Amino acid sequence: MAFVNLQNVTYKYPLTKTPVLQNINLQVNEGEFVAVIGPNGAGKSTLCYTLAGFVPHFFKGEISGIVEVAGMESSKSTLDEWVLNVGLAFQNPFNQISGAKYTVFEEIAFGLENTGVPREEMKARVDEAMKLTDISNLADRSPYSLSGGQQQRVALTSILVMRPRLLVLDEPTSQMDPIGTREVFGVIRRMAEGGMTVVLVEHKMEWIAQFADRVIALKEGQILLEGTPREVLTSDLLAENGFGTSRYTSTAREAKKQGLWKRESLPVTLDEAVEGFVIRN
Amino acid sequence: MHERLSFYVKRNSLIHHLNPLTKLTLVLALILIAFTSPWYWTPQFLVLVAIIPLAFIGKVIPEFSRTATRLILPAAGFLFLMQAFFQPIGSTVIFKFYFLDITQESLMFAFRNAMRVFIMVSAFTFLLLTTHPSELMSDLTRRGLPGQFAYVILSTLQILPQMQAKAQTIISAQRSRGLDTQSSFLRRMGSLTPLIGPLVFGSLAEVEERAIAIEARGFTSKKVKTSLYEIPDRNSDRIIRWGLMILILISIVLKIWLS
Repeated sequence: MAFVNLQNVTYKYPLTKTPVLQNINLQVNEGEFVAVIGPNGAGKSTLCYTLAGFVPHFFKGEISGIVEVAGMESSKSTLDEWVLNVGLAFQNPFNQISGAKYTVFEEIAFGLENTGVPREEMKARVDEAMKLTDISNLADRSPYSLSGGQQQRVALTSILVMRPRLLVLDEPTSQMDPIGTREVFGVIRRMAEGGMTVVLVEHKMEWIAQFADRVIALKEGQILLEGTPREVLTSDLLAENGFGTSRYTSTAREAKKQGLWKRESLPVTLDEAVEGFVIRN
Repeated sequence: MHERLSFYVKRNSLIHHLNPLTKLTLVLALILIAFTSPWYWTPQFLVLVAIIPLAFIGKVIPEFSRTATRLILPAAGFLFLMQAFFQPIGSTVIFKFYFLDITQESLMFAFRNAMRVFIMVSAFTFLLLTTHPSELMSDLTRRGLPGQFAYVILSTLQILPQMQAKAQTIISAQRSRGLDTQSSFLRRMGSLTPLIGPLVFGSLAEVEERAIAIEARGFTSKKVKTSLYEIPDRNSDRIIRWGLMILILISIVLKIWLS
């Protein structure tokens, strides 16, 4: 059975009429990297919250269907048990800082203190996690004195240190500049290479194309498309449904109409675009 | 953005190395003795034999005297004036100020209350100057204080300055679009309105996100929490605490005995 298993999941927030997620079926294998794309209001964040247990345990509302991760069923466990298996990081790094800690080292140890990890093991794990995300040099700084990219890496490290088996990331770079984005994706890449199961919601198609094993396109709470990054990101269906595409894809699509793009498939990354374009003299 | 609401000054002193609970007991003992002692001069005596020497041992004399002169003395002075003028006790009138009589008794009464408040605030200032807030809270949590309570205290200390900074950003943004913040009082009160919306609703949204973030890090876990730092609680700490408890007991017993 798949590591992550969503069957016919339909969910409605309290006080709303229409369901945000409709009949979602999604299976993710252990170690797989799945990216989720979709326009605003497609239910991407809700999907993240569902995987991370906050739907329905935190937000309440009505849910039907089955949500399983690592053999546990969401409806049969409590949120505090669930978060031990599933880590969640989201957009705004500032709001992910606990606020109760004065240094980055203490901030990262917060989750381990809460879950009762012994002191020596805690220190070792915090050190190890900070090396992994390359923030060891920030250990003694105040979490509030950091740049957005650094804060987001601290937030990610705070989750990774808890050793979740599934990592759920909800647009972790949406508020970052290119440097911050590269820093954060550097961490995600290392996680994925280390064999962690990752579900990532992201708008930046070039990055998705480089990392993801599979891409899911969500629209209005339903899965519109599913497949390899190449299949999904270059699909005409995507452009027709108001999804943002990478500038390389959209440029090549225009070029193809003019006969300037000779290849069968459209590019997703800069390198592919450079290779595929024909220079006319 | 680095600033936070904390008085703590990092020094290497005997007081800094005491267990936070010992210092808290010391503060409570000072306050209780100041408030219950039948001897009129107790608070003044405590300033001389306890507060000042402790601040000296704790190497926080400059910070302590700054807080005392800028904050505690003005507050205690104000209290003294209010009570001296408006306390209708005694008959030994010293002087008259329009319809207000200043009597010797009201002066004595006001002075004692002002001194008691001075002791109370000074003692807490001393605690805050020599104890890191997270050290105090994690020691109290280890002894059974609910983690949620400690979190509320600690996060408030850091998040309030962040909110102030945010309020300042919103004001600047509104001013750059022509908001009047410098004319008459009423106009200025009116111009607060566009500030409140973004600040309050923005903060509420932030609270939800922060709740999710700390929940994702096992905040409500039912496991017994551990602490990153070991906060030493030596035998000397226990002896001091017992000594202070006995002092507190004596002062309460004396109070009951003599009244």
